[in-house]
This record gives sequence, C-alpha cells and structure tokens, in this order.
Amino acid sequence: MQGNIACAEGAIAAGCRFFGGYPITPSTEIAEHMALKLPKVDGVFIQMEDELASMASIIGASWTGMRSMTATSGPGFSLMMENIGFAVMTETPCVVVNIQRGGPSTGQPTMGAQGDMMQCRFGSHGDYSVIALSPASVQEMYELTAKAFNLADEFRVPVFLMSDEIVGHMRERIDIPDQVPIVQRKSLQKGTLPFHPDADLVPGFPRFGEGYGVHVTGLTHDERGYPCATSPGLHEDLVMRLVNKIESARDRIADYSITNPEAETVFVTYGPPARSVEQVVRDLGRDDIGHLRLRVVWPFPESALNLFASAKQFLVPEMNMGQVAREIERHVDQPVIPIPKLGGNLHSPDELKARLEVLR
Amino acid sequence: MKLVIDQDRCKGCNLCTLVCPYRIFLPGKTLNRKGVVVPDLDRPERCTNCRLQKLYGRTLCGLCVMICPDQAISWEEEEPHEPHKVAIEY
Amino acid sequence: MSYQDWFRQDRLPHIYCSGCGNGTVINCTLMAVDEIGWKENETVFVSGIGCSSRASGYIVTDSLHTTHGRALPFATGVKLSNPDLNVVVFTGDGDLAAIGGNHFIHACRRNIDLTVICMNNQIYGMTGGQGSPTTPAGALSTTTPYGSSEPAFDLSELAVAAGANYVARWTSYHVKELTRAIGAGMRTPGLSFIETMTQCPTNYGRRNKLRQVTDQVEFMKNHTALRQKLDRMRESGQKVPADVIAIGEFVRRDRPAMGVRR
Repeated sequence: MQGNIACAEGAIAAGCRFFGGYPITPSTEIAEHMALKLPKVDGVFIQMEDELASMASIIGASWTGMRSMTATSGPGFSLMMENIGFAVMTETPCVVVNIQRGGPSTGQPTMGAQGDMMQCRFGSHGDYSVIALSPASVQEMYELTAKAFNLADEFRVPVFLMSDEIVGHMRERIDIPDQVPIVQRKSLQKGTLPFHPDADLVPGFPRFGEGYGVHVTGLTHDERGYPCATSPGLHEDLVMRLVNKIESARDRIADYSITNPEAETVFVTYGPPARSVEQVVRDLGRDDIGHLRLRVVWPFPESALNLFASAKQFLVPEMNMGQVAREIERHVDQPVIPIPKLGGNLHSPDELKARLEVLR
Repeated sequence: MKLVIDQDRCKGCNLCTLVCPYRIFLPGKTLNRKGVVVPDLDRPERCTNCRLQKLYGRTLCGLCVMICPDQAISWEEEEPHEPHKVAIEY
Repeated sequence: MSYQDWFRQDRLPHIYCSGCGNGTVINCTLMAVDEIGWKENETVFVSGIGCSSRASGYIVTDSLHTTHGRALPFATGVKLSNPDLNVVVFTGDGDLAAIGGNHFIHACRRNIDLTVICMNNQIYGMTGGQGSPTTPAGALSTTTPYGSSEPAFDLSELAVAAGANYVARWTSYHVKELTRAIGAGMRTPGLSFIETMTQCPTNYGRRNKLRQVTDQVEFMKNHTALRQKLDRMRESGQKVPADVIAIGEFVRRDRPAMGVRR
C-alpha cells in the first residue's frame, strides 16, 4: 500500500468523515482516495477552490462535531497558516497532513524534504503550541493518522501529520487492525461557559446545532466566547492556557523509541532519516551508537534526551538545514551535530557511516 | 402599544425621523446623560399603526423599529386611555 | 417569540457607529428568520472580518466569526457536514469582493444552500475608510484621496453570472423589501445572495459630502431604482444616470444545489 493511501485509510478508520482539499503534489493521492472512499461511508469530500478554503472548510465541519482533515504540501501549507492560527485560537480539533516537499516556493514538488518542521510549529502569527507527528513508514502513516485525530479531539488543537514525499509515495506491506483506538472529544456540560477549561485546561466541546448558542471568534475572547480584544490580562491568560494545555501534557503526548540507551553517540531522528539510521545501527552492530526516534516532534519530548545518560554527542540527520537540531541544542549540554541534507534524497546509510568515521 | 426609545441604546442617528409617516420622531435638542442627542417623541400615542397592532394580531408599519440600527425603539403597553385636551387651530 | 429575542441582549448596544446601516440589516435578517420560524438551535451565523462581520456575535445562536474573507468556506464546511443546520453568512464588501472574491464565485458556482447577506457600505469601515472594490469611481476615501480611479464591482450581477439561485439587492432604507428578500432567499434552496447597500456615515458619508446620516440614506433612496424600471427606461431610449443603482430581485431559479437538507 502507498503511504498516502495508508494515510487516507487511517483517517477513515479513525472516523474522519469530512475532507476538504486542493490538489497538490505530492499529497494528491490522499484527496483522490478520500474522494473515492468517503462517499461510501456517508462522509463528505469536497475539493475547495484553494488551500485557504480547504483549511476553513474543515474547521467549519469540525464545529458540527465531525472529524475533519485536509492534506497538502509546502505552498499549500503556507496558505493555510492564517486559518491554522484561527483553529488554535478557537480550539478547533482538526488534522492537517503535510506531505512535505522541497522548498522554498514551488521548489521540488516530486522530492521529499522536512523543511516545514519549524513552519508547523511557528508558522502562524502569535504564540501558540501545536502537536506534530512524523511517520517513517507506511505502517506509521496509517497509525499516526488515526492517532492524530485522537490527539486533536483530546486537546482541541490542530494536529499536523508532518510526512514527506518519501513516505507518502513509498509502497510497503502494512497490517491494518480491525479497529483503531478512538478517543472522542468531550462535550460541554450544559450550564458551563463554552470556553471554561476543565482541570486539563481543555474546555468541553459545544457542538453546533445542540443549542449551546456558542459564539466562536478568532478575536481574544473570554470564557463566554465573547470578544474582548483590549484586555491585556485576558489575552495573556488565554494564550498561556492555549500553550500550557499542550506543553503541560508533553510527556503524555510523547511517542518515541529508543535503541542503546547507554550509547555515547546518539542519533536523534524523525521521519524517513530514521530508516537510514536504523540500517546504520543494524550494520555496525555496536552498542555505543544510540538512536532516539521521535514519532511526535512537537511538543518536543525533551525528557527523552535525558534517557541517554552517557551521551557525549547528538547527531541529527534531517532533510533540512537543521531545524529540529536547534531545538535539541536548547535542551542538552552536549554538542549537537546537525547532518543536513537538501535536494530531495534521503541520507544513505553509507553517508552516515562516513560521518561517524569523521567524528570518531 | 406605544413607541419608546431606549436612552441607553440610542446613538442619535435620527434615522427614525426620516421614516415615520406620522412624524412622531423629531430631531432631539438636548444631550442625555450618555451624551447622545436622542430624538424627541411627539405624542407617540398618535401612531395608529402601533395602536391597531393588537387588534390585527401582527406588526403594522414598524418602519422605525426596523430601521433603528441600535435596536433602541420598541413598543410598550399603553396605559388605559386618558382624555387629552385637543387644541384645534384654525 | 419576536426578533428581539434573537439578540444577545447582554452584548447590546453593539459597536457600530451612530447611524451605521449594519444594525438595520441585522434587524431585517432576524425579522426574516423569525417569520420563517427557524429554530435557534438549528441556525448558524457565520461571518468574516469587518464591521458587518461583527453581526454574528450579537445573535443568540451558534455563530462563527472567522478570518478575513473566509466566511464562505467555513460556512461550506458547516453546511455540508450537517445539512440540517440553516446557515446564514454575514459579510461585507471588502470581505466578500476583495479578499474573499474567489470563495464567493465558487460558493455561487457550487450553489451551496447558504444565505449570504452582504452589507455593502462601499468602503473598509473598520480599518478607517479605505477604498474597497465597490467604492464608486470618483468617491473619496483614505486610500483614494483624489477620488477612486477604479471601476466598482457589481456584486449582484457577479453572483448571477456565477450561478447563485437567488440574488437580490436592496438598501438599508428599504427595510420591508429587504426583509422580504432575505426571507425569500432563505426559503430558496441553493445559494441566495442578498446585497444591501448600507450607509457608512463615519467613513464614507463624511468624506463624500453626505455629512448627516439622514443625508446618506436620502441619497441611497434617491439614487436607486428598480431594475425593471431601469430596463424599461433603457428600452425606451431614455438615458439612465450613471450613479443610479439597480435594486430589486435579480434572479430566482432552480439550479441543482449542494448541501440541501436531506
């Protein structure tokens, strides 16, 4: 099965019933497959006029209680930024799949890259926090898409599936479970103010059409949902809560795997470079080379780095110029060595081995 | 039923003076406590449309209520009829 | 239940300037909604950004106040995912014709079952009176200090050409007709577009020799004529003044629509 198809299948299995999209290489297969499958499960597929509109439509659909998703790539992702900020501010659960390609601008539509990792974290204006997942295989494409919906509903935040052309167009055999775990979004208790947070800082969801009479606005709003854009304290509290509801749950959201925790040289990877590093670790068969593979990149699971107690250096192969490497640098005292790779090809295991030789 | 203006909501735009067929609303002359020149009501009980609404069971005319951008004009129940002294000018 | 019950009374008075036509349009919309008998929990108001778009926040139903120009795609998502909801979109001329122009023609083309009410005040009011795509040629605004040199958009004709099922244009002076048109639009399956010319005394009238609110409303009253009348005048060879705006019903048809209640 192709990665993009697995993503679409995972979404449908997770209960996604609304897809608003716009064709863009290399994510188009997701839209195509959704167009094929959604009508059969009583879902809605709509091809919007641009990515601004597709992002807007899934937010609108989400407010009627549907699980909704869109898929895009670099330039389209840039267009979505404004409405992603809206989804963060209004706490709208939705899933955005970004099959990354080489940028900036039109760049390399048919080649992989990981250059949007910082954009998904900081791309919209203002301070906020989101969740971003990064699959490294077709199997993970299926599983993480399904998981993205659960995280979106649990935290009421847009969740990004930051895949790339390599995994999106990769074909692998996968196991499709009979059922994927589903965590429903909690609904708002009647009589509670619509934006009054519970103990986990996430308010219950007042679905449209159930008589809550909720006003949803991208303006700074109070707990009633009414705009109040000039109160400094209110704005601070709101933005702090939006950030803290994600950041305080870092460890709960974190999803990673660890190889050789006693190692001195540690690779930190997410997405396809993980595959090359796994090959390197397998080939060399040494236990002084560790590997931390992240499936959740944002919020960054900093505690995972501390599990490598004897680490002397962190190597970060990425298909960009070192975006997450800089984030790792913030959290550790050891040297962090980015291994950037541009141009659309993955780091080959031999390249990484040569790099290890140089560093020794 | 008789027309009243909510002093808290009126912003003094005088649109009601433009549409009333009975000229019940006249441009005001004095500021109220919010600093708005609210139109004066000239004998609102003169409005036949307002008075006959109960009888017909639906809104008659109601232009002033609809055009008021600030939702300041509404009807209130009239007190039982009081005789008025009418001065007829020849 | 009267139309007054549809207002969030705790949020009134609203933010509009004295004499702003938007308040009138909200009155007419709610009066139409009330007449049709829609229920509060089955109605959703969606709006974009701008003066007009603040309207959704003053109404007791579920409402979505979205990003600039994007009200129609948001409404598309709401309506298609739950066709049982009645969706009304409030938007303005800058919101709909400039930044949201593409969404507008595509929503009309798809003919989604929405009611779109455009409060066309011919200016960007909230940002302080900049020229918009509907500012008439020659009109003064802060970004057209020597008079607008661009031709203006005729939004109703655009909606007709793009395929909306119901299109009408009235002004905020013609309250009864406007209410009837909004009601007719809400009953029509498919996209209904009701354009209302509204006065903006603060940012438009003030700069264009219409200093009083009533001046601008009088101007709208005197410079509009029924479409049919203008057509008759043209047929009989009479000259139609350039600044007269056609009002009335533009189209009512039955193209296939999307998102109609099952």
